[in-house]
Amino acid sequence: MTTLRDDTVATPAKVGNEPVITLRGVEKYFPVREGVFQQVVGHVRAVDNVSFEIPRGQTVGLVGESGCGKTTLGRCIAGLTDATGGGIYFRLSVADRQFLDQVDAIPQEQRTQEQRDRVERLERAHRIDRLKGDAWRTYRRNCQFVFQDAFSSLNPRQLVKDIVGRPLKVYKEASGPGLTERVVGLLESVGLGRQHLYRYPHEFSGGQRQRISIARALALDPEFIVLDEPTSALDVSVQSQILNLLHELQQERGLTYLFITHDLGVVRLMSDDIVVMYLGEVMEHATSEELFASPRHPYTDALLAANPDLLSDGDEDTEMRGLEGTLPDPARPPRGCRFHTRCPVATPRCGWEVDDAVAWLLDNATVLDGLSGVERATDFDSVLRFGDEAAAGEAASLLESSDVPASMRTAMVELGTDGAQLRIRFEEVDAVRLEDVGGGHTTSCILHTSQSAGS
Amino acid sequence: MTAAAPATAGEKTAALVASVEDLRVHFELKAGVLHAVDGVSFDIADGETLGLVGETGCGKSVTARSFLRLIPTPPGRYAGGRIRFWPKEARQSGGEPVDLLQVPTSDMLDIRGNRIAMIFQDPGKALNPALPIREQVAEVFYQHRTEDLLEAWNGRAPRPIRRAASQRAGKLERLAFKFPPLRSQSKRLKRRVDELVGDALAETQIHNPRKIMASYPHELSGGMKQRVMIAQALACNPDLLIADEPTTALDVTIQARILELIRELQHAHQTSVLYISHDLSLVRRICDRIAVMYAGRIAEIGTTQQVFHDPRHPYTQGLLAAVPSFAHRRGELAAIEGTVPELIDPDPSCRFHTRCAFATDICGRVDPVLDGRVAGRPVACHGYASPEELGVAAAELPHLDRSPA
Amino acid sequence: MVDTAAPREPLTRTESGPLAVRLRRAGELTREVLRNPTTLMGLIVIVTLISLAFLAPLLTEPNRPDAYQMPRDWGATNAPPGTPGHLLGTTSTGGDVLYGVLWGARTSLRMSLIVVGVTMTVGTIMGSIAGFIGGKVDEFIMRIVDVLLAIPELIFALAIAAVLGPSFANIIFALSVVFWVKYARIIRGQIIHVKHNEYVDSARVIGDSKLNIYRKDVLPNSVTPVVVQATLDMGNIVLVGATLSFIGLAEAGLAEWGVLVSEGQAGISSGRWWASTFPGAMVFLWALAFNLLGDGLRDVLDPRTGGR
Ligand SMILES: Nc1ncnc2c1ncn2[C@@H]1O[C@H](COP(=O)(O)OP(=O)(O)OP(=O)(O)O)[C@@H](O)[C@H]1O
Ligand SMILES: Nc1ncnc2c1ncn2[C@@H]1O[C@H](COP(=O)(O)OP(=O)(O)OP(=O)(O)O)[C@@H](O)[C@H]1O
Ligand code: SF4
Ligand SMILES: [Mg+2]
Ligand SMILES: [Mg+2]
Repeated sequence: MTTLRDDTVATPAKVGNEPVITLRGVEKYFPVREGVFQQVVGHVRAVDNVSFEIPRGQTVGLVGESGCGKTTLGRCIAGLTDATGGGIYFRLSVADRQFLDQVDAIPQEQRTQEQRDRVERLERAHRIDRLKGDAWRTYRRNCQFVFQDAFSSLNPRQLVKDIVGRPLKVYKEASGPGLTERVVGLLESVGLGRQHLYRYPHEFSGGQRQRISIARALALDPEFIVLDEPTSALDVSVQSQILNLLHELQQERGLTYLFITHDLGVVRLMSDDIVVMYLGEVMEHATSEELFASPRHPYTDALLAANPDLLSDGDEDTEMRGLEGTLPDPARPPRGCRFHTRCPVATPRCGWEVDDAVAWLLDNATVLDGLSGVERATDFDSVLRFGDEAAAGEAASLLESSDVPASMRTAMVELGTDGAQLRIRFEEVDAVRLEDVGGGHTTSCILHTSQSAGS
Repeated sequence: MTAAAPATAGEKTAALVASVEDLRVHFELKAGVLHAVDGVSFDIADGETLGLVGETGCGKSVTARSFLRLIPTPPGRYAGGRIRFWPKEARQSGGEPVDLLQVPTSDMLDIRGNRIAMIFQDPGKALNPALPIREQVAEVFYQHRTEDLLEAWNGRAPRPIRRAASQRAGKLERLAFKFPPLRSQSKRLKRRVDELVGDALAETQIHNPRKIMASYPHELSGGMKQRVMIAQALACNPDLLIADEPTTALDVTIQARILELIRELQHAHQTSVLYISHDLSLVRRICDRIAVMYAGRIAEIGTTQQVFHDPRHPYTQGLLAAVPSFAHRRGELAAIEGTVPELIDPDPSCRFHTRCAFATDICGRVDPVLDGRVAGRPVACHGYASPEELGVAAAELPHLDRSPA
Repeated sequence: MVDTAAPREPLTRTESGPLAVRLRRAGELTREVLRNPTTLMGLIVIVTLISLAFLAPLLTEPNRPDAYQMPRDWGATNAPPGTPGHLLGTTSTGGDVLYGVLWGARTSLRMSLIVVGVTMTVGTIMGSIAGFIGGKVDEFIMRIVDVLLAIPELIFALAIAAVLGPSFANIIFALSVVFWVKYARIIRGQIIHVKHNEYVDSARVIGDSKLNIYRKDVLPNSVTPVVVQATLDMGNIVLVGATLSFIGLAEAGLAEWGVLVSEGQAGISSGRWWASTFPGAMVFLWALAFNLLGDGLRDVLDPRTGGR
């Protein structure tokens, strides 16, 4: 289908910067097992439908709070675990990616044989879980990983020379004195030296250990490195050394980075593009300047408000603001927008559901002690059965009171008692999608996109 | 290094809550004596929030724990100095302070939790996993607020109830509480405890305190546990609250909420706070004054404004330049080269001299004194020392720009 | 560009090659082990006992045709200690107790080395397969291990040896069958723990083979508790082995401590204490010494108690 291809060549925003890594709808679900027989009772959706590209020679920052799935995504990309859904592609051109997207939109049975063949060809050549033989080795060499904890990522029983020289040995690139010289060269490029060759990892400080990790990652001269919180275990004064080093190496070797961190200050400094994740999903994706200058998602706003030093106009008088509530259970993420349970500007269309009402009652009253059962028709429509009529009535009146967040109350389209039963029905909403709001800046917040915000 | 008293002498007019003078805490290890805290001096004024910042291992926690004598000895040893503390009565009547390193253990038990409260970094470890939250907060009242518990009796509470209110009721008495006439009274006491615990929790803006009281620590998230810790710490209206990195284990958005809370409660209670952190941008938002610590010593002390806009010590200058902020460009972050020195049997020297861009010969030979005469506020750097007192030529001192930025 | 200034380093360090570094580390560990006086004492006793075992043919005339059979001096039965030519006395069948003690040490050394060698190898292989491969294989191996562990060691060994008939070789076989399970369990637990370390992931990221990862990363970091267990077992095996021969599962007349104790016990009531006391004391010393050394090693090597 050359026509398909021809339409799409002109569109890419970043001409000349073909992606090294392309994520298309990547999912990683971990089974939750319970009971004697360890049955699967649900899934932790650590990474859910994540798509973005990492252009050659650039740094993409991945930020989000603890447990939002950053490490899991990084490990999927590095091939350390297999994604349970979607695809991770290596050196897939923008044009080919657009072709895949277009074919995806066509129902299976309507695809032409030609389209299917091309999809198959592309997947076999680029999708990392389908790479074989030399293609896999090429990918393996070119995608490296630097771990957060530089202590547990260095084998305590190996000398620095063996640690840094190991990749060279695996690919039979050097041996004997040649290997030693290569290792010395690598150590020097990260600010260590020959005198460190024959030492054990425990003889080094945290910053030095992280340098050793980086030297090992550089040994095979890779194209792409996943940096999983490379500095969060380090002190500020040492962190700046490592950040400068990473930048310098990138300049020298044209490296591409995926920089994972929870520190917005670090990510702003280091990244060209920033992806903000919350509970396994991408909330917002924009260039670094864009994201800080005009964030288009309340979660990004919240992250910035928690650290006002990062705002261009922030000084010590800017109030620091935090978020209410706790991170929801990733095994049962909220419907609609996953952030709505903590979002300070949530609207009635953001995905309010019965669980939110129940959680509110649990937090604010004791009527639920009398709850005897729940009949869940959908997540948005359930019947709560209480021990007696009075309790049901009390729950109903509590939910109607003005203590309940206004957006949740508005979203509740039905709230009625029938004896000891309380029926709660919320307006049903679709899952939010990432939408482009101009210049490659994407966000999932319905307030900033065309997804029906009003009602 | 001699006591750094002169540096702070000018400020002694303001009522102080605590004054640390030349505190030294050493650990005797196999490899030698570790000078974890080596001549630390600072004052905490009434009602102020003092920030103590520094990198991992510089001795912040050891300093904080010394206030309550919580250092395990051995291997630890209080090798010198004193920590004077003025309880509320002493401050009001101009009475004498107590030296926290010297007071008898029985007095120390009363000071802990009652006069000086502490919040730790890891709320998970500081709470007892086997007790419901109610019991853990109630503990504070039983220990230090017996009178409040017995308020309703107007001083005429029967002995068993008195003993119950300080958790000293014996087996027999507890049995007696199950029967009249003590039954109703013991219930009243219980209600009073619930009330006070509920109030203490409610003050931390925790949702549904009643439910929290009945839960166990593992049922709560990190942020909620930290709120419980705060409730516990403030239940007695302490004169001084020591917060040792209370938000480091939390996510940024939750961290910001906890900080707001600590600040609000501090204003409401008029408590003095020693706030320990390694995060400069945090400390800046809640502290009145800041003491910067490096390798067991104070590098400089100043108001938040002074420290951030006019850092005097080369370490502070380097540290501020190393925090990624809006002004930095990629690859141009200032880095302090090298790493923190070993603190085992150190020679007299400025602990920063191996990494300092200004260091001269004298920095490697002589301990700098925390002195405010040249810099206008306490700074421990030879760049602000007087050549006569050190007995060297002025040219031998490090050449810093001494004028305010 | 970046800091090259590691904190002041002693110059000697820069010159040393890999071998010197490894030797120095081994030296440091040894010194640390020996710092504990009880461990040192254990080691001294062990060295003495093993020297006795080696020197046995020089100290006493080996019996012919089989040196591991007690020589019989029918002219001097039940001789008390101090009798010329029979320093520690003789048994009721004229066996020289000194000969039994010395050659018994040799028997014990042989037995414990064979059994520990076999069980450690088998256990490590089985445990490694279970821990490193996991899944169904793990399930299968561990169920066998669980069953075997449920039976008390001594009784299990006794049952096997009894079925096979009385012979010292059968005792060694029985002990080998019994003792490997412990190693399998220890090493499996270690491997499952070590496998999740990030240095294993690091090796996967550079594309190293599974076998290499096992050889370089997993095994070396899992093996210390096995070494400790092996040391303890060097003692325990002699104890269990002596017990088995004591109840008569070894050939009669063997120069083995358990056999000697068993032969001598009848005489205790009539005052002939020496025939069983000396070999009994040897069993005790042997087991104690290896336990002391094992505990000392554990303190230093086991990461959970703070060593490295
Ligand atoms: N092997 C696993 N089995 C089950 N659940 C897992 C596993 N690994 C991660 N998870 C879950 O997946 C979610 C995401 O974890 P992940 O480690 O990717 O978070 P993160 O963003 O890296 O957090 P942090 O900032 O704390 O490193 C968490 O809820 C975590 O509990
Ligand atoms: N019980 C102890 N035994 C031996 N050394 C100790 C002990 N407690 C603290 N130290 C040492 O004292 C020094 C200071 O420790 P401290 O805990 O005060 O650091 P810190 O500034 O609080 O660091 P962090 O930011 O990591 O909490 C460290 O070098 C530490 O190893
Ligand atoms: S979509 Fe709604 S809930 Fe989600 S962040 Fe935007 S406003 Fe808040
Ligand atoms: Mg992570
Ligand atoms: Mg600390």
